[in-house]
Amino acid sequence: MDEFKKRYDGLVIGGGIAGMQAALDLAEQDYEVLLIEKDPSIGGVMIGLNKVFPTLDCSSCICTPRMAESVHHKNIKIQAYSEVTSIRRHDPGFKVTVRKKPRYVIEDKCIGCSQCELECPVDVPHEFDHGLGARRAIYIPHGNAIPQVATLDVDHCTFCGRCAKVCPTQCVDYTQEAEDVEVDVGAVIVTTGLNITPMDAKKEYGGGHLINVMNPLAMEAIQASNGPFGRPLRPSDGKVPRTIAYVQCAGSRDHTIGIPYCSRVCCMYALKQALLLRHYLHDVEITLYHMDIRAFGKGYEQFYRRVMNEGVNIVKGKVAKITEVENQDLLLRVERLDEGGRLEERRYDLVVLSQGLVPAWQGKGVLDIELGDDGFFKSISPKISPVLTSAEGIFVAGVAAGPKDIPDAIVEAGAAAMEAAIHLEGIGYREQVLTASQS
Amino acid sequence: MNDAQINQTTAESLSAAQNPKVREKRPIDILRERHGGMSPEMKEYYKEQTRIKQLLKEALARGAKTVPELARECGLEPSVTMWNLMAMRRYGKVVEEELRGEYYAYRLKEVK
Repeated sequence: MDEFKKRYDGLVIGGGIAGMQAALDLAEQDYEVLLIEKDPSIGGVMIGLNKVFPTLDCSSCICTPRMAESVHHKNIKIQAYSEVTSIRRHDPGFKVTVRKKPRYVIEDKCIGCSQCELECPVDVPHEFDHGLGARRAIYIPHGNAIPQVATLDVDHCTFCGRCAKVCPTQCVDYTQEAEDVEVDVGAVIVTTGLNITPMDAKKEYGGGHLINVMNPLAMEAIQASNGPFGRPLRPSDGKVPRTIAYVQCAGSRDHTIGIPYCSRVCCMYALKQALLLRHYLHDVEITLYHMDIRAFGKGYEQFYRRVMNEGVNIVKGKVAKITEVENQDLLLRVERLDEGGRLEERRYDLVVLSQGLVPAWQGKGVLDIELGDDGFFKSISPKISPVLTSAEGIFVAGVAAGPKDIPDAIVEAGAAAMEAAIHLEGIGYREQVLTASQS
Repeated sequence: MNDAQINQTTAESLSAAQNPKVREKRPIDILRERHGGMSPEMKEYYKEQTRIKQLLKEALARGAKTVPELARECGLEPSVTMWNLMAMRRYGKVVEEELRGEYYAYRLKEVK
């Protein structure tokens, strides 16, 4: 299903795990689906994770088959490195404009050999590694990227022309420009996922300017064997960390930063990362400072107990301030809630801020659907059908609707696909389109 | 592309056809023109990166070193040394050696 058609039954915005699941569940019911992803590859946040809790399964081993299944499905057209720029109601469905960003590479001709990337002379902080590692100005995002096609980042290009010279299939095309494509769709599913709370949201933690204060997704990257350092090391100087602290609720449950809600996954990802660090770095001392541990899912409480049994220090305490001291070590000032509020200062090699989840996209200027007080897309029926939005025919799933873990996002994606199918049948979308084309 | 740009491109193509000495623009030149060439910041970034890589290569040619050792020898910030060294590692120029205390040592990859 390579060609761009004029009409699809469903549009899925966002190619993370929820988007892929929604697309597959619709496609399996014989609906034709257009899946739009803004990044060069589908896979979303999940493909950048090291392992998943509580099973410690390899994340890409779960996500990659879904990516492959989506791209090979006869009823799914995936358009990566593209953005939806407008959605207008156009009976019986919607008219959608998709902007295809130029990769400066002819996708059908690129064989993913990386010759261009190896030849490119400039190293650029790699978004996939959260800036800790490097990519080239022309690059394939990662080994599991789909499509496995190079993309030229023209802002960092030196215009040397070497990538085109070494390309064995002559697929580098410097003359490409952005292209707008219009399609008709019958239903829309929004699965645009998450960003983490900005690192500098709480100035007293030093995130964003203290190099050894890391965000949790960067920690996922350096824990992976194919990560930027090949093993967990300190970004400031390559030291093998011997003492690591996790600061819980660093970007949620905090009115002062405008994020009063619980992000639901931070306790579990921090426990998972701490346990894995204990496995990777045998004599490391890890302390996790928390207000309370929320281990609510199936097998989560058992996992929490396992982490404690394997030697991670779980301390009920509120971190007040993080300052950098000699050798770029970090001094934490902590209020020990478990000891009547006693203040203590402890020094660490590395600190991970357990940042919360915020919406990656709020549809400004494109989607006219209501947002909740938390900034996520609002469900009009949160108990009975949480995927329904304020606009008929537009559904929401995954973290776009609110913080949740991977299993919940997948279940919700399935529900959104089912609601979209019911909507398409209810309005008789295919019949109406057929009638319109014959008249 | 606006009308003025189309007219200019057409004029260039015509002059190239009429006069074989006027070369047609290469695609990379079209891209450079459209984006206004490298920004001053990018030029400085690239120049500095090239200088750092050269310093690291020269230091590593004298033997395997840890990040703090390399930083001292090259007069660079340890974090800058780390980032550029890891970029060289990623693209197969540098390999990790043994652990020396709290730091791994790195050496240039032998070219066979």
